[in-house]
Amino acid sequence: MALRLAGDFDTTYAHDMAVIRNRGQWVMTLAFLVALLGLPLVASSYIVSIINIIGINIVVVQGLNILVGYTGQISLGQAAFMAVGAYTSALLVRGGMPFWFALPISGLSAGVIGTIFGLPSLRIKGFYLAMATLAAQFIIPWFFRNVRTDVFGGMPGLVVPPPKLGDFVFNTQQSMYFVIVGLVCLTTILAKNIARTRLGRAFISIRDNDLAAEVLGIAPFSYKLRAFFISAFYAGLAGSLWAHYARAINPEQFHLIDSVWQLGMVIVGGAGSALGPILGAIFVRLLNEASILAAPIIGTLLPSLEASILAALGPMLFGLALMLFLIFEPRGLAHRWELTKAAWRLRPFAH
Amino acid sequence: MKKFTILGLLLVVVLVACAPAAAPPPAKALRTKANAGEVITFFHFGDITGPYAAITTPLVTGFNDAVKWVNGKGGIRGAEIKIEWSDTGGKLENAISVYNRYREKKPLILFMYGSPETEALRDRLIEDKIPSVTAGVSGKGLYPPGYAFGEVPIYSDQFGLFMDWLKANWDKVKPAKGQALDSPKIAILTWDTAYGRGALTDETKAYAESKGIKIVGQEFFAVGAPDVTTQILNAKKAGANVLYTNTLAHGPAQILKDAISLGVRDEFLIGGNNWALDLSMLALAGPASEGFYGPFPNLWWTEADHAGIKALDEQFKANARKPAERNVAYMLSFAFVDYARAILEKTIDRVGFDGLTGAAVHETITEMGEYKALDGVMILAYGKDKRAPSKARVIQVQKGQFVPVTDWMVAPDLRPK
Repeated sequence: MALRLAGDFDTTYAHDMAVIRNRGQWVMTLAFLVALLGLPLVASSYIVSIINIIGINIVVVQGLNILVGYTGQISLGQAAFMAVGAYTSALLVRGGMPFWFALPISGLSAGVIGTIFGLPSLRIKGFYLAMATLAAQFIIPWFFRNVRTDVFGGMPGLVVPPPKLGDFVFNTQQSMYFVIVGLVCLTTILAKNIARTRLGRAFISIRDNDLAAEVLGIAPFSYKLRAFFISAFYAGLAGSLWAHYARAINPEQFHLIDSVWQLGMVIVGGAGSALGPILGAIFVRLLNEASILAAPIIGTLLPSLEASILAALGPMLFGLALMLFLIFEPRGLAHRWELTKAAWRLRPFAH
Repeated sequence: MKKFTILGLLLVVVLVACAPAAAPPPAKALRTKANAGEVITFFHFGDITGPYAAITTPLVTGFNDAVKWVNGKGGIRGAEIKIEWSDTGGKLENAISVYNRYREKKPLILFMYGSPETEALRDRLIEDKIPSVTAGVSGKGLYPPGYAFGEVPIYSDQFGLFMDWLKANWDKVKPAKGQALDSPKIAILTWDTAYGRGALTDETKAYAESKGIKIVGQEFFAVGAPDVTTQILNAKKAGANVLYTNTLAHGPAQILKDAISLGVRDEFLIGGNNWALDLSMLALAGPASEGFYGPFPNLWWTEADHAGIKALDEQFKANARKPAERNVAYMLSFAFVDYARAILEKTIDRVGFDGLTGAAVHETITEMGEYKALDGVMILAYGKDKRAPSKARVIQVQKGQFVPVTDWMVAPDLRPK
C-alpha cells in the first residue's frame, strides 16, 4: 500500500474510496488536465503525433493490463482484436455511420471476438493459453485478407475517412489529439475503477490463486471471460482510433510482433496498475523515437560506415536499452514510481 | 457658383476617367541564384531494418554519395543539398511520426521506400502539398493521382509488360518441359502482403484474359518462408508453366531453389518484378537464379559503357563503398537526387528561389514530361494524370548477371480503376 502524506486520514467512506484525496492533488490534477488540453496549441505536430501514437497504445495496453496484470491470463492476440475494431469502425463509417457511434460498436465487436478466443482459458493457462490466443493472431488477419475482399478490401485494405463532428473534420494531428487523449482519459479512469470494484477484486483473486478464488465463490471461467471481453473491448476502441488516425488499414498493420510489444509495454510499465500501461507505452515509444533519431546522427558522425551497420544501429540501441531496463527494473516503471514517491514522503528518513 | 461647382466636379470625373492607368510596378526579377549558405534538404525515410532491408540499406549511403556528387558540381543553382533520413523498420506508426517531423520543415520533395507508407500518407501528402517520389509502387498509393509519384512502373503495369513479352516470345522462351506448352499459363507465387499482392489485381487478370493468357493459380507464402515447395506443387497441379512473383530477395530465391530441389525447374519459366531482380536475389539463390526473368526499369552496373553507369561507378569507387552496396537501391538514390535536382532547377527557373514550394515542385513534375535520370539509367515520366513511368526492358539472369533480352518496352496502363 502506498504511503500517505501526514495528516491524510479517512473521515468518511467516500474519502476512503477517493482516488484524488486532498486539495493539493486536486490542484495538480486540474493543472495537468489544463496542460493536456493546451499542449497541442503550443507543441509541434511531430510532438503531437508522438503523443497520439502513445495515446492509442495506452488504450490497447490498458485493456491488456486488465487481462494480464489483474487477471493473470496471457494473451498474444491483442493486435488481432485491434484489427477487429479497426475494420468494424472503418466499415461502419464508410457506410455512413458517424465515427462517434462506430467507436463503441468497434469495442463491442472486438469484445465479442475476444471472448470467443478466451474460451480455452477454461481448460488451459500460462504458456498454453498464450498459444491458444496466438491463434487469433493468425485467424483474424487471414480472415480480413481472404474473406469477402470486396467488403474488407483484401490485402490492400481500406481507406478510412477521418472523424467528423458536424462540418469539422478531425484530419490534423492537433484535432485527432483531442479525440485520442479524451478516450485515453476515459479508458484509464475506467480501468482504474474496474480494479477497485467487486469485478476487479475477483480478477485479482483469480490471478493470485484461481483455486482459492473458486472456493470463495468466484466463478473463474465467467470472470476470465469477462476479462477477455474487457481487454478486447479496449483493443477494439484502440483499433477504431488507429483506423481513423492512420486513414488506411490493412491486415499487415496488426501483426504478431505488435501483440508481443503490447505485452512488453505492460511488463515495462508494470503489470497490475493503471499507471503501468501509461508509463510502458510512453517508455517504449520514446525509446523507439530515440533509436530512429540516433541512427542518422551516428551516420553523420561516421560517414564512411557501411549502410547495413548504420541501419542496424537504431534497433540495436533500442534492444540494448530495453534489456538494461529489464535487468535493473524488472518490476516495471510503476513500481519505481511508487518507490520514488515513498522515498520522497519519508525524506529525510530512510525507513 | 453652383454651375461652376458642377462643371468642376464633371471636369474632375472626366480627368480621372481619362487619366492613364498607373504604370505597373516593375516586375521583380526572379531570384534564380542561391544566396550564400542557402540549403535545400532532401528527406527520405522507410524500412531499412525490417522485411525490405535486404534491398533498401544501400539507399542511405547512396543518398549521401549522390548529394556529395551534386554538391561537388555546384549544388542546385548554388544551393547546397543536405540529406535527412530515418529508418521506420517497416512500421507504419514510425512512418507517420517521421513524416510529421519532416513536414514541419516544409520539404520540397520527399523520397519514400515502401507501399504501406505511400498508401497511408497519400491523403496527407495532398493536404500538405508535399510531392513524394516512392519506390513502393502499388496502384493504390499512386492513384487517383495525388502528390505521390512512383520511381518505377507500378507492379500491375510491370506484370502487364511481362505478359506482353511472354505472349510475343512464348515459342522462344517457353520451358523445355512442362505441361500444355501451347500458351503461357501463369501461377502467381507471392508474399501474402500488400506489396506481394501488388501485381494481382482485377486489371491484370482482365488484361491476361484479353491476351489469351491464363492465370491458373495464386499461391501465397510468408515473408522469409524457408520452404515454398507446396506452393510450387500446387501451381504445377493447377497446370501452370510460368511462375511469377512480386517479392524481393529471399522470395524469388526460395522459389528458384525449391523448384530445383523438386526437380521441376525446367517445367517452369520463372520471373518476377523489378525488386526481385537484385544482388540479394543473386546472392541468396546462387546458381539457381540462372534463367530468371523480369521487367527491369533501369540500367545495370554491367552496362559499363553507359555515361550514367560510368558516373555511378566512379562515385561508388571514390567513396570506397563495399560490394554488397552495389545494388539497385544505390542506383535509385542517385537517380532520385539527379531527378530532384533537375525538377528543382526547372521550378526555380519558373518561380525563383523565393517561390519554391511543394505545390510549385508538384506542378513542374506533372508538366516536365520524360526525364532521363543519370543520362538514362532510369527513365522517369509523369503527367497530369500519370503517377509512374512505363518503360522497362525484360532481362534474364545469365551466368550470374542481368542481361537485357529486349529493348525498352512500354508497359500497358493497368492502374486501378
